Amino acid sequence: MSNRNVIDVSSLPHHEFDTFDPVWWGNNGLLAIETSMFAILIATYFYLRQNFGLWPPPIAQLTAPLRPLPELGYGTANTILLVLACVPMIMADRAARRGDRRAAKIGLTICVVCGIVAMVLRGFEFSAVYFRWDSNAYGSVVWFLLGMHALHLLVLTSETVLLSVWLRVREFDMKHRVDIVTVAVYWYWVVAMWLIIYGIVYFTPRLDLRT
Amino acid sequence: MKQGGGTNRIKLAFVALGATVFLCSCGGGIQSSTNPAGPNAASLSRLWWLMFWVTAAVYVLVMIAVFIAIRKGTRKSDLNPVLNLPPETETSRRNAVLSAVIVTVVILFVFLIYSYSTGRALTADLGQKNGLSIEVTGHQWWWEARYNDVDASNMFTTANEIHIPVGVPVLFTLRGADVIHSFWVPNLAGKKDLIPGKVSTMWLQADKPGVYRGQCAEYCGLQHARMAFWIVAEPQEQFNAWRQNATQGAVPPSTDSQRYGQQVFLSATCVMCHAINGTPAGSNIGPNLTHVGSRNTIAAATLSNTREHLTRWIVDSQQFKPGNRMPANNIGQKELDALVDYLQSLK
Amino acid sequence: MEREREELERTWAHEKGWRRLLMETDHKLIAKRYIVTAFVFFLFGGIEAALMRIQLSRPDNHFLSPDKYNQIFTVHGTTMMFLFAVPIMTALGIYLVPLMIGARDVAYPRLNLYGYWVYLIGGLLLYTGFVLNTGPDAGWFAYVPLSGPGFSPGKRVDIWAQMITFTEISGLVGAIVIIGTVFKMRAPGMTLNRLPLFVWAQLVTSFMIIFAMPAVMLASSFLASDRLIDTHFFNPAEGGDAILYQHLFWFFGHPEVYIIFIPALGFISSIVAAFARTKIFGYTAMVLSLIATGFIGFGLWVHHMFATPIPQMGQSFFTAASMIITIPTGVQIFCWIATLWHGKLNIKTPLLFVFGFFAIFIIGGLTGVMLAAVPLDLQIHDTFFVVAHLHYVLIGGSVFPLFGAFYYWVPKWTGRMLSETLGRWSFALMFIGFNLVFFPMHQLGLSGMPRRVYTYLPESGWGTLNLIASIGAFVLAGGVLAFIVNFLWALRAGAIAGDNPWAADTLEWSVSSPPPPYNFHNVPVVQGRYALWESTPDAPVIRGLSTSKRETLVTSVLDAEPELRFEIPGPSIWPFMVALATGVTFIVGIFTPWAFLVGAILTGAALACWFFADPNYENRPAREHPERSRPVSPPAGLQPKEV
Repeated sequence: MSNRNVIDVSSLPHHEFDTFDPVWWGNNGLLAIETSMFAILIATYFYLRQNFGLWPPPIAQLTAPLRPLPELGYGTANTILLVLACVPMIMADRAARRGDRRAAKIGLTICVVCGIVAMVLRGFEFSAVYFRWDSNAYGSVVWFLLGMHALHLLVLTSETVLLSVWLRVREFDMKHRVDIVTVAVYWYWVVAMWLIIYGIVYFTPRLDLRT
Repeated sequence: MKQGGGTNRIKLAFVALGATVFLCSCGGGIQSSTNPAGPNAASLSRLWWLMFWVTAAVYVLVMIAVFIAIRKGTRKSDLNPVLNLPPETETSRRNAVLSAVIVTVVILFVFLIYSYSTGRALTADLGQKNGLSIEVTGHQWWWEARYNDVDASNMFTTANEIHIPVGVPVLFTLRGADVIHSFWVPNLAGKKDLIPGKVSTMWLQADKPGVYRGQCAEYCGLQHARMAFWIVAEPQEQFNAWRQNATQGAVPPSTDSQRYGQQVFLSATCVMCHAINGTPAGSNIGPNLTHVGSRNTIAAATLSNTREHLTRWIVDSQQFKPGNRMPANNIGQKELDALVDYLQSLK
Repeated sequence: MEREREELERTWAHEKGWRRLLMETDHKLIAKRYIVTAFVFFLFGGIEAALMRIQLSRPDNHFLSPDKYNQIFTVHGTTMMFLFAVPIMTALGIYLVPLMIGARDVAYPRLNLYGYWVYLIGGLLLYTGFVLNTGPDAGWFAYVPLSGPGFSPGKRVDIWAQMITFTEISGLVGAIVIIGTVFKMRAPGMTLNRLPLFVWAQLVTSFMIIFAMPAVMLASSFLASDRLIDTHFFNPAEGGDAILYQHLFWFFGHPEVYIIFIPALGFISSIVAAFARTKIFGYTAMVLSLIATGFIGFGLWVHHMFATPIPQMGQSFFTAASMIITIPTGVQIFCWIATLWHGKLNIKTPLLFVFGFFAIFIIGGLTGVMLAAVPLDLQIHDTFFVVAHLHYVLIGGSVFPLFGAFYYWVPKWTGRMLSETLGRWSFALMFIGFNLVFFPMHQLGLSGMPRRVYTYLPESGWGTLNLIASIGAFVLAGGVLAFIVNFLWALRAGAIAGDNPWAADTLEWSVSSPPPPYNFHNVPVVQGRYALWESTPDAPVIRGLSTSKRETLVTSVLDAEPELRFEIPGPSIWPFMVALATGVTFIVGIFTPWAFLVGAILTGAALACWFFADPNYENRPAREHPERSRPVSPPAGLQPKEV
């Protein structure tokens, strides 16, 4: 055995960014699952739309519009907020990569605030849809779309909170720098998903897809 | 080697067993897809036999290949791994596998074409058929059949026993009232689901007079097993007579017992669910009983329509179909006899 | 060298007692638990089947009431599909994949442990409901409107829907674990081109799980919310759609059967290679076939819906796809036959089960082609013909290879050989019994017997074939019993297996039986597809991984070049706690939607604790030689090999 070639791996690091680290693959695997879920949910939205002549369907009130489209205010504000919130997250991402603890802390903290505000705005978005989840199939699927994304906002913000706490009370080690870069990927995904869902919920009813 | 032989023997035994079991119960039956009585089922039966014989041949060939491989392999005695086979072997194996794949593709293609053209023929002239039109609604756990006609006074509703004329295409429009059911009479056609909120259509035709039994083929709850129906195919004149009778109201009671029976019917809970045309009973929650006396079965083709069965069914249908929607009835013997007399008179 | 080994043993030593039960993350331990749990569910499912066969053995039988029968057939299908088949296939992957690729554990050991607990909670939920006479009774796929709030009162279907949630979370977690492990933790030299076919099968299956399971999660969530909070996904009166449910369910349901089938293809490749003493012919074709099957499997789902009023034109596409999928599976079968043809066959029980696979699965595949033809399907859909088909493909295609896998790998898992004689008996009884039960069902379906009927009329003429099937069920049960007896006997009195009793080729056979907790003293370097058959004496050795911390080597995805010395997280209570919180959320959620709020808080708190928990990379305070502890979970009586 002493004659065999030796490959010495003792100088290899424990963690590294991006595809090097198993956590990247795990995170993206989870995102693949959630993307599939949203894809199928969006397909459900369009499938159910086939059962309706008017989409959204009318409210049973003579003074209401025939097609009560979801109001754009809160949703648009939320979209702008989420896109802008990518900036501090990119900042935290870069800071984690170069080992700048202070900048990472600032970035993550701003993101936490943005996340909380986004969830509050999301709460108002539910009221901008003229139906409840139990009014009809339109209400059910729109609440589900907004709700599942809200769940992701919650998880995302919570993860960001955990990391910013860690940054303050524990060491800024490589593993947690990789974690920050990982949560940044999740952040970008949540925003990207939102752009798609925003477009579908708020705008596709405004385009008359039926002739 | 002995072990290889043992395996082969088991395999041969299985094949023999399979053949016996299969052959001993072929064909026959009034609820059988291999006993077609109409063009729809006949073309499906042809498709079945084509696929059966071809796939059986494929199976035999593949199993022969497996047997040969086993025999070849078990002749060698040392078990050192064989790692480098000569290139000719690799080539011959590649060619063998490729040939097998090509044959597979060809067979599948043939099946695909045959399947597609069979399917086209079944639905092709759905619009042009100028025959009978019946609307069937599936309920838990019985079948409602409404015969349509251009003349509204010729329309009528019956339950669980559907008469059709021989040689005439019949268009069925299918709806589910509560849960999903499936309308299936194998001697005549494939099945179609009855889905609440949707409308399905299918057509079928009987070419031979006879009785063909159908059964619900989508699990629909507690008594799915006992939700069957009869299609009675009869020559045109007989059918016309039957239909003529069906459009009439109920036969008025002629004996005292029957009159009493009608009174019992109208004053008991029966009228909450059952209709008898020509009387005040008009509920369509349960099967229409206007001509129940002329039906061959009751309880959705579960029981033959005899006095005994009808009596017991009325007293406690839960014994025959536990969980069905008809409650037990607390009726005295005299009332019961009269009621059954009346119902049996409704021909 | 010896001191290194002792340090490794200390560093990777299992916890003891209740800590081991709740906290230990060794993939082998978790996998064995999965296998035993899933096998117990298999036996429950078998008992349910036996009860059904007794009821159906005669017309107008009164052995089971309609309600009991309907619960039993629902729980049988649900158990077999969700609680047995997928978990056990995943479990064999979790045990064997790290060993086959030269890793010391999976990539996410704590997540792996969480997956097991969630699975167990789901299974307990279903069976608690069943035992209390509130078992689901709407069939294993629970079509609406029957399963909806209008026609399934009570909590029966809610129990089913939430059980789905648990088993799907568990399946998804298992898939992530396998993908991360296969991609990043292969030993140097094991390029993707050298990956054992078993591992390819697990990888393809894991990807299928990722894309398929979200559909059933949505289907069951929509159903649960229709029932609990009055949404209208499936209510036609408010724009909902009963067929939507079928699309959502079968978009998952069809890939599901391939998720169950493809790992078995991996077992067969392993067994054929080892017992034909040769390489599997056509490696590239085999890999491409696995991948093709995985892809095409997503394009078939409408073939479960041919009897619904969806447009016929679209249906023909699914006929074509359902026929095309025959081709990659056919390629695999032809390649195995070509392998056997030029091999030297060592006819042992694992190989007998592979022969059983050929004889049985091919019939199932061929009846599948028949079912793919829309017009013919309209006759045989929802009849006992389909029951025959699905059992031929699932039992022939997955359970027979699984039993072959048991006979093959139990020596590695336990260190003992199973009895060859009892093995042949169990094979013969299972083979004959299976065919007695299910072959007559083809004819029953053609003769008009629909599925899911608790009884049938004497005039139908179905009595004889049903009786034969029922007798066969007990023969089949006898075969399973013979296996159980064999296993229990072998644990105490089986021959000692040694490292490589079959002189097989994959890396798990290079370590002791059972393997040490750290799997490999030195991470191996792989020089060919058939690692042990193609390794040379001068193969390089990996040095430099710590013996005082749990470390394994992380390598690149394509070429397995060393990249990181990865710190493997060790035992922790938090996976169990998060699983409990998940359990509370979804089980109490059956009764009130507020459970989701409370449960979310609990789950979040437990996850935060997990995040902040000790990663346990460092060696624990010095222990003496670890006791040869009695394992807490079955099988009992295991003694690790003395060195």
